[in-house]
Order: sequence, then structure tokens, then C-alpha cells
Amino acid sequence: MNLAIETENLTKMYDGSVGCKEICLSVSEGQIFGLLGPNGAGKSTLVKTLVGLVRPTSGTARLLGRPLGNVEVRRKIGFLPENFGYHEWLTGRQLLEFHASLYKMDRWSRKSRIPLVLDVVGLTGSEKKKVRTYSKGMRQRIGMACALLPDPDLLFLDEPTSALDPLGRREVREIMQGLKERGKTIFLNSHLLSEVEMVCDQVAFIKGGSIIDQGSPDEMGADGAVVELHVDVVSEGLLDLIRPVARIVSSGSNTIRAAVKSREDIPELARAVVGSGGRLYRLAHEKVSLEEIFINLLKEGD
Amino acid sequence: MFTIFGFTFREAFSRKILLVSIIIAAVFLGLFGAGVHFAVKDIVKSHNQMLASIIYPQLLLFGLYFGGFIVSFLSIISSAGLISSEIESGNIQAVITKPLSRCEIITGKFLGQGVFLASYAVVMFAAISSIIYYKTGMQFPGIWRAGLLFMLQPIVLMSVTMLASVLTSTIASGAMAFMLYSIAVVGGVVEQIGYLINNLYLKNGGIVSSLIMPVDSLYRKIVHIMMPANNPLSAIQQMGPFGASAEPSVWMVVYTLLYVPAFYLLSVYYFARKDI
Ligand SMILES: Nc1ncnc2c1ncn2[C@@H]1O[C@H](COP(=O)(O)OP(=O)(O)OP(=O)(O)O)[C@@H](O)[C@H]1O
Ligand SMILES: [Mg+2]
Repeated sequence: MNLAIETENLTKMYDGSVGCKEICLSVSEGQIFGLLGPNGAGKSTLVKTLVGLVRPTSGTARLLGRPLGNVEVRRKIGFLPENFGYHEWLTGRQLLEFHASLYKMDRWSRKSRIPLVLDVVGLTGSEKKKVRTYSKGMRQRIGMACALLPDPDLLFLDEPTSALDPLGRREVREIMQGLKERGKTIFLNSHLLSEVEMVCDQVAFIKGGSIIDQGSPDEMGADGAVVELHVDVVSEGLLDLIRPVARIVSSGSNTIRAAVKSREDIPELARAVVGSGGRLYRLAHEKVSLEEIFINLLKEGD
Repeated sequence: MFTIFGFTFREAFSRKILLVSIIIAAVFLGLFGAGVHFAVKDIVKSHNQMLASIIYPQLLLFGLYFGGFIVSFLSIISSAGLISSEIESGNIQAVITKPLSRCEIITGKFLGQGVFLASYAVVMFAAISSIIYYKTGMQFPGIWRAGLLFMLQPIVLMSVTMLASVLTSTIASGAMAFMLYSIAVVGGVVEQIGYLINNLYLKNGGIVSSLIMPVDSLYRKIVHIMMPANNPLSAIQQMGPFGASAEPSVWMVVYTLLYVPAFYLLSVYYFARKDI
């Protein structure tokens, strides 16, 4: 399968402080890729480096098979910035016309694409109003329309739903799924983990500028399952026996919650308890949400 | 590039700046026209040919000097945010990531803004010379050359302001450009005084200032082209802060013509390396 995005040790330093560090990612064509991380982790920095807003300090990357900085490949790349600002004195339609000519789209495709994207983002009827009069969510929608304009093969969305109402969020999800069905690749930055979980095929966690974990949400959920154990007494010795097998999430006087790496670790866990002479009353595992994985990963680093 | 060119040009037209500058120009030209009208009326009444040949050129100088000032003012105001305000508002993010190089963005903006300012300067110049011509009947030998140099004035300021706009914020660019412009204006007056009292230091001060910002020496060149030193009164005509006691050499013009592309290239260079 072809790679839509491929980075190798991509690093961006801002005057000595880390933006993102030694990022190695590969995203196959036709995937929705989610990048997650706390504020200031380097998500936007990575996207900005990929779309050419900032120059990488070191490392290389390829988009749709072309090296970073290739201008022609940008005809097929859409980008919705995090802090979207648009020429306020234009009407929605004029703004799209401007972006269409920046994309070097011909007259015919402009004529067909502009009404189409207006419809997709739900702004039909507002295109004759000045962008200045748009609400925050409408601005994000027109930004989305600009990003969708060339029918991009690769779409970068930096928190595309931050200003949208629940309905708008759902619409964006549907837009993304629609694009994916047509073989397009999407790179999504988001804080909304439930959203990411619903649409993304692959996710990566970034913290302090470095990728700390990646995989598909399903795998990560199953593999990171949390097992709840009820025992007669929780001793430090017992916890020490469990630690090599699973990561302790919490422990009470007679319950332990521990996250295993894969399902095969669950019997090992039971063995550890019984082997230590403990009495095991109940063992149950719950599927963890991306949110829990996220929070655990963040805690782990500290 | 043509998209950016057209867009910048259109932007200049659709923003308030144009309206404000048209109003300022109209007020200035109205006052100037009225002033010239009444001055000429009085002088004609007095039948004093000598007075006429001293005062008429002064009227022209006054018009060109302050007309140039307004054009320069507009140039600085409208160029200070050319790049920086787009960065500050985030507008540029979606533009840079389009299939065009950063060099094209700078070039398009430079040309769009340049054509806008040049048109404004030409209209201003034409209005001032027409007022003087119709009221006083003065003949201007090198009017085409003078017009071209008048047009160059805002372009010179724009090229510096644009570089500042690439490197710093809108406020800082505007302030810096005004400082440079003031250096040029003060330097020009200092040089005039230098010639008046024949002081070498003052003369050199003027030369240094016009190397830093050649817009004032352009003005002095225009004055010389429009009023060549071919009559006995020319030394008197060229006295005062608005005159040009010494004609700037052709090298000064060449220097200015190199000054503009140099700053353009610096803008291209720094913009290509800038993190947005
Ligand atoms: N222009 C800049 N100059 C200096 N440092 C910067 C700049 N932009 C970002 N940084 C730093 O780089 C780091 C990563 O920032 P980035 O904007 O990529 O975070 P983020 O993951 O997108 O955060 P958020 O969730 O808040 O959007 C932060 O520590 C930030 O302080
Ligand atoms: Mg961000």
C-alpha cells in the first residue's frame, strides 16, 4: 500500500525549545490518522511542518510520495489551520473563488466545486454574506470548505470541530468518513477522544514533542484492557508480583485494577495472584476507552 | 502570482485606506488649488514679473513637497501590514500552503501594492502640475522624467516597509518606516542648510541620510528636473527647505533604482525562511 505521509526523524525546534522531536510516522493512503496529545505537545507544530508553514530543523518527510517543500503536490492537499483566519472583507463565495484560484483550479471545476463544498459544510445561503459577519462556527465551516475545495487526496485538519455545535461535529465526522470511502487520507489533530475513536483507523499519542505510542484504537483498547481483581488482601508483595505482568492502574484494600498489554497476559495475572498464595474471588476485564489510554499514557510519563 | 497580484491590488481598493487617502488627497488638492488661485490673482494684479518668477516656483515646490509627503504617508500606512498583518490575523496560513512558492507571494504583493501606489502618485503628480500649469502658465521641461521619479518615491518607501513587515509586526514596521522617512526629510533640510551656509558637515549629513533612505534626494532631483538652473533667478528659486540648492547626481537615481530590488530580494529571502 502506498504511503500518504511518511516522516523520518522529523524535528522542529523553536529557538532551542522543542516543538516536535524525531517524529517517525507512516500513514497509508485511505486512512484516517488521529494525532492526540495534551496542550503544547507539538500536534500543531507537526502539522505546520508537514504543510510547509514552518521549516523542519532536521529530518525528512514525504507527502503523497513527494519530498517536503514540493509545491505542485499541494494542489492535492487540503489544510484547515488551528487558528483559522480568513480575509474578512470578502464574502464567503469570493473567499472560495480566491482559494480556488490559489489552487489553480480551472473555471469549470470552480463552477462545480464551490457550490458543492458550500453545501457539504452547510453554508449554502450564507455565501453572499461577508466573512466578517460570520459566527465562529461558520468561520470554521468556511475554512473547512476551503480545505475541501480541490477534492484533496490528503487533508490536514487541526482541531476541525473546536468551534462547532454537536450537529456540526457529526457532519464533520460524516465528511471524513465520506472522504475515506473514496480513498482519501486524513490527518486529524483533536482533543475530542470519543470523536477520534469513532473515525480513526490509526492513532498516535504525542507528548513533549515525541510520539509515545501508536496503533489502531481497537488494538490499543483490547491490548490495554484493564482487569479488575478482587482478592482477600492487597499486599505490597502481591503488587510487586503483578507489576511485571501488568501496569497497576489503581489498588484498594481488596481490589486491584491493572492494565495488561495483551489478552494473553490475563491468565498470567491470575497465576501471579494464586501463586503468591492470595485468594482470588473475581477477575473481570473491561474494554478501555481511548480516553483512559490517553490519561494513563500521560500519567506514565510523569 | 497573478492571483496574489490581483488580490493585493483589489484589497487596496476595497479597504478603507483608499477612501481615506482619496479624501486626504482631495482636501489637500482643494486647499492647494485655492491657495494657488488667490496667490496668482494677487501677483497678476501687482504686475510684478520679478515677484511672479520667484513665487510661482515656490508654489510648485510646496505642492510637490506636500503631495509627496501624502503619497509617502499612504505608502507607509498601507505597506506596514502587507505581510505582518496577514500573519497576525492568520490569513496567510491557508495561502502559504497552496501550490505557489513563497517567492510568488512576495512578488505578487510587491507588484500589486506597487502598481496601486504608483497610480496614486501619478494622479497626485498630474493634479499638482496641472493646477500650477493652468494657473501660472509655468512650463515644465522634464515633466515625464519628473513624473516617473515622483512615482518612484512611494515604491522606495514600500520596499523598505515591506521588508520590515516580513521581519517584524505591523506596528514596528510602520514605526521603523516613519523613522527612516524622517531621517530622509531631516537630512534633506540639513543638506539645504549646509549649502546655504556652506558647511561641509551638514552637506555630508544630507548625503548619508539619502543613502539610508533616498526618498528625499528623489524629491530634490524632481525639483531640478522641473526647474532647471538655466536662469539667473534659479539660485533664489531653489532656496528654502523645499528647494534643491545642489542637484543630486544621476548616480543617486541609479542608487535608488538598485535600492528597490535589493529590498525586494531581501524580503523574498527572509520570507522564504520564516516560520509562520
Ligand atoms: N512560534 C513558536 N515559537 C516558539 N515556541 C512555539 C511556537 N509555536 C509553538 N511553540 C511551542 O512548541 C510546543 C508545541 O506547540 P504546539 O502548538 O505544536 O502544541 P499543540 O500540541 O498543538 O497544543 P494545543 O493542543 O494547545 O493546540 C509548545 O511548547 C509551544 O510552546
Ligand atoms: Mg494545536
